[in-house]
Amino acid sequence: MTVSALTRPGERDRLIVKLAELDWVFVLVLSLIAGAGALMLFSIAGSSWTPWAAAHVARFGICLLLMIALAMIDIRVWFALAYPVYGLGLLLLVAVEAVGDVRLGAQRWLSIGSFSFQPSEVMKLGIVLALARLYHGVSAERARLSWWLLVPALMIGVPVLLVAHQPDLGTAMLIALTGGAIVMLAGLSWKVIGAALAGALAVIPPFVMFGMHEYQRQRVLTFLDPESDPSGSGYHILQSMIALGSGGLLGKGYGLGSQSQLNFLPEKQTDFIFATLAEEFGFVGCVSLLVLYAAAIFMALRTSYLSHSHFGRLAAAGVTATFTLYVLINGAMVMGLAPVVGVPMPMLSYGGTVMLTVMIGFGLVQSVRVHRYAEVTSGKGSFV
Amino acid sequence: MTQPAIFFEEVNERQGTFHRRTVILGAFAGLGVGALCARLAYLQLFETQRYEKMASSNQFNFKLLPAPRGMIVDRNGAVLAANRPNFRLMVARDKGVDPEATLHTLAEFVPLDEARQRRLLKDINSAPKRAPVQVMEDMSWEQFSAISVREPELPGVTADMGEVRVYPYGGAFAHVIGYVAKVNREDVDNAGPSPDPIMLHPSFRIGKQGVEKAFDAELRGKAGAQKVEVDANGRQVREDPQGDIPATPGKTIELTLDIDVQLRAEEVFGAESGAAVVMDVRNGDLLCLFSGPSFDANKFVRGLTGAEYRALSGYDHKPLFNKALTATYPPGSTFKTMVALSALENGYDPKTVHVCTGHWFFGRTWKCDQVHGAQDMHNAIATSCDIYFYQTALAIGPDKIADTARKFGLGEIFDIGIPGQKKGLVPDTAYKARRFPKDPKWHPGETPSMGIGQGYTNLNPLQLCVMTSRIANGEKALHPRLIRSIGGVEQKSGAAWGDLPVDKGHLHFVREAMAAVTTGIGTAARVSDLGLGPIKMAGKTGTAQAYSYGAGRGVHGTAGAWKLRDHAWFVAFAPYDDPRYAISVLVEHGGFGASAAAPRAREIMRTVLLKDPEVMKRVETVTPMPPAPDEAPAATPTDPGAKV
Repeated sequence: MTVSALTRPGERDRLIVKLAELDWVFVLVLSLIAGAGALMLFSIAGSSWTPWAAAHVARFGICLLLMIALAMIDIRVWFALAYPVYGLGLLLLVAVEAVGDVRLGAQRWLSIGSFSFQPSEVMKLGIVLALARLYHGVSAERARLSWWLLVPALMIGVPVLLVAHQPDLGTAMLIALTGGAIVMLAGLSWKVIGAALAGALAVIPPFVMFGMHEYQRQRVLTFLDPESDPSGSGYHILQSMIALGSGGLLGKGYGLGSQSQLNFLPEKQTDFIFATLAEEFGFVGCVSLLVLYAAAIFMALRTSYLSHSHFGRLAAAGVTATFTLYVLINGAMVMGLAPVVGVPMPMLSYGGTVMLTVMIGFGLVQSVRVHRYAEVTSGKGSFV
Repeated sequence: MTQPAIFFEEVNERQGTFHRRTVILGAFAGLGVGALCARLAYLQLFETQRYEKMASSNQFNFKLLPAPRGMIVDRNGAVLAANRPNFRLMVARDKGVDPEATLHTLAEFVPLDEARQRRLLKDINSAPKRAPVQVMEDMSWEQFSAISVREPELPGVTADMGEVRVYPYGGAFAHVIGYVAKVNREDVDNAGPSPDPIMLHPSFRIGKQGVEKAFDAELRGKAGAQKVEVDANGRQVREDPQGDIPATPGKTIELTLDIDVQLRAEEVFGAESGAAVVMDVRNGDLLCLFSGPSFDANKFVRGLTGAEYRALSGYDHKPLFNKALTATYPPGSTFKTMVALSALENGYDPKTVHVCTGHWFFGRTWKCDQVHGAQDMHNAIATSCDIYFYQTALAIGPDKIADTARKFGLGEIFDIGIPGQKKGLVPDTAYKARRFPKDPKWHPGETPSMGIGQGYTNLNPLQLCVMTSRIANGEKALHPRLIRSIGGVEQKSGAAWGDLPVDKGHLHFVREAMAAVTTGIGTAARVSDLGLGPIKMAGKTGTAQAYSYGAGRGVHGTAGAWKLRDHAWFVAFAPYDDPRYAISVLVEHGGFGASAAAPRAREIMRTVLLKDPEVMKRVETVTPMPPAPDEAPAATPTDPGAKV
């Protein structure tokens, strides 16, 4: 079977052809990352599959199957669903504002029966799909610099403000940056990008001082000097840095990380799992893992590069941008380069929601890959 | 990947921009990952030592290990203060611990009634988190092991073995050894700016009295540390025996006391109040330093209840008081030895005869207990004739008597290691001038009472024993020694303090006169037989007025209120021909010296001599001591200054 099979309508719709077209190296990289996660979860549970490692492996297995299944879905179906998903996300965000559960001081969760989830996760995917759908039918000039740009700005701004109001600044930032990345990739004028960056830089300090909740401000200020309050708000960052630093070149050995095994490291199985790995496997282990992440990012980006539809390009790149942001923000936080925000390390951290979101996103990326020659006819610019 | 031919190179602005910008996005991602790697390199390769230190200070804690307290032993190594294991049960408040249910469960294994459970619950809830509160101590081995095996199922409960001070002889040594007790605020304040952290350890006890207090630093040793691995909640995860710093046990302190002598003294005093001091006249070693009645030091270690403390402190026999050192009494007739020596040293002829008619007029009428007739100095000492010594004292004068008395250690504080000695007083004209500025002159009428050891004169039993020892030794200005060695290091001998600057002949004269006290016409003749054949005791009785001089009526003998009775004294040395041991016995409000003090001194001295093999070589058969008469010669209550 050759790639050219994809170019022949009829043949390219066969399931076996599609499956062969999946990026199996990418699947391998994701499995390695998830495997590393399971390895660490096994270690910090005191060499036990429960409570985390087994669940992590099971979830990844299900999510991987889901990803492959989603990859089989025709890109045009994704295209058609773009606005509905975005709309649903927006609806749920409004709903959570009205009836959501308050957990840990923030209104983020929506319960349906015994199942509860965060609507902001839907929006992470929704924003990517909707913007890709939007830009699919827009000319380069408009995308570069025009009053029309208010439309994507509004599409990004409304969900971001809703999520920020929950308050979940981490996710709001993630959605904003993902949206921004798509707008940038679609060809936004550098002048506007420069102005937006300058504006953001000018707005951040006053926002930190006056616009944030007390605990959020505290986190930011502590990040700037974690050792000023080692047992209080600086505890997370300091303990994480101790775990990392004490790992050294080769680490303390599997299962021997004192920081994580003795519970000095908070959130060791979720947001700070990278520090656990750093402690037990050292610099070598950390860099190896980051290389895996870089490989995943590169492969996903390449998929978007290869797509022949503008929707496909932007959607795949958008998902990649979200994934990249996850990795960079979590990495920076764990290493004491960013304030503590609730952003986990995708595939490595324990937690179903983020894994599901990321894997659905990668399902979209793989769908773009499998259907990269498909004509997305609806609207303008399928081949233009 | 080869591109299919039908998709020729499109000149598409949107696609071109997208491709360029994807490269930028990729570069940005690469830059980000690179920055993370750089940060990792900084943390893990350059700063790693710093973080390793922080990690291990997180991981390991050092728990203080109290050092075993040094033992206190007698001259033959018999243990007077030691440590015994103490099984303790403690409960701490913590996450997941329900103290009420825990106590309820514990009550199945150890006796904990409802009221005690309630009180403990209050203690536990008011204690800081994870600070153990003692629920029980001195558990039996069965109780300890029953709880020990269940410890994993009982969160917050610890059963451990500590050490607790124990005094096997309870009261006999309580005044000398003192006791240890919980550290209080004052102890911490007194410990200076940086108190030993072990003082804050819940099981630590500090010396509060006597040897325990004076040598606390030596006995305490140096606390060690136990290296333990802890988790983020401070719970102990495991021990690391390799990292332990062993404790240095406290030093053993060897006393000069002899347990048999001390116990005999306790026995013969019974419920009486007083003190007995025995000294080796060759080297100053104190074989006995007893004060009665005593108290059980073990109760102080445990902590006294309010009622127990009130009973001890409120009792008029003053059990908490070390009468051998702290209480001073008029020495009574025992002081006549000093008056005689002073007279001899100042050229007074011992052949001088005074006639005792029972009365003597000097400003007023001074009385004697009996009519002794014509007596020289030798007989006057033996019969303890007051009339003779009124006049002798008058002839010598107070300053010369005081001067001699001081050579024998009277009015002196000796460094025996433990605090609490009172200096007492040997008066002279300078004292009178200093103390009574309104009437600074020493009136001749004040001298006769000084001649019989009354008046201003006040001495403690230790000083009188030192006096007797110096008379018996004759050569050395002996000092008493209580601490024989500390951690095996021998302390300065009591004979190493210089010579006694008194004529040997005069001393011999006084010793002979003291020998006469216990024989023939002597006041203690019938109460001094040791039952040891040729080994005899020489001594001097004293009956000192307790009630303030000239301001009321004292009570002679054992009639009348206890508080008003005379103090009974007896000082002695033995064997009288080859002195080895000296003794002073005071029976507070005991009545007559000959009836209350001398028989007790005889018992104690016999015990001392029986333990001396060289003395026993001279004894063919040991016979029981002849019984002492219940009461000394019937006394006629007379002038309060006149004594036997």
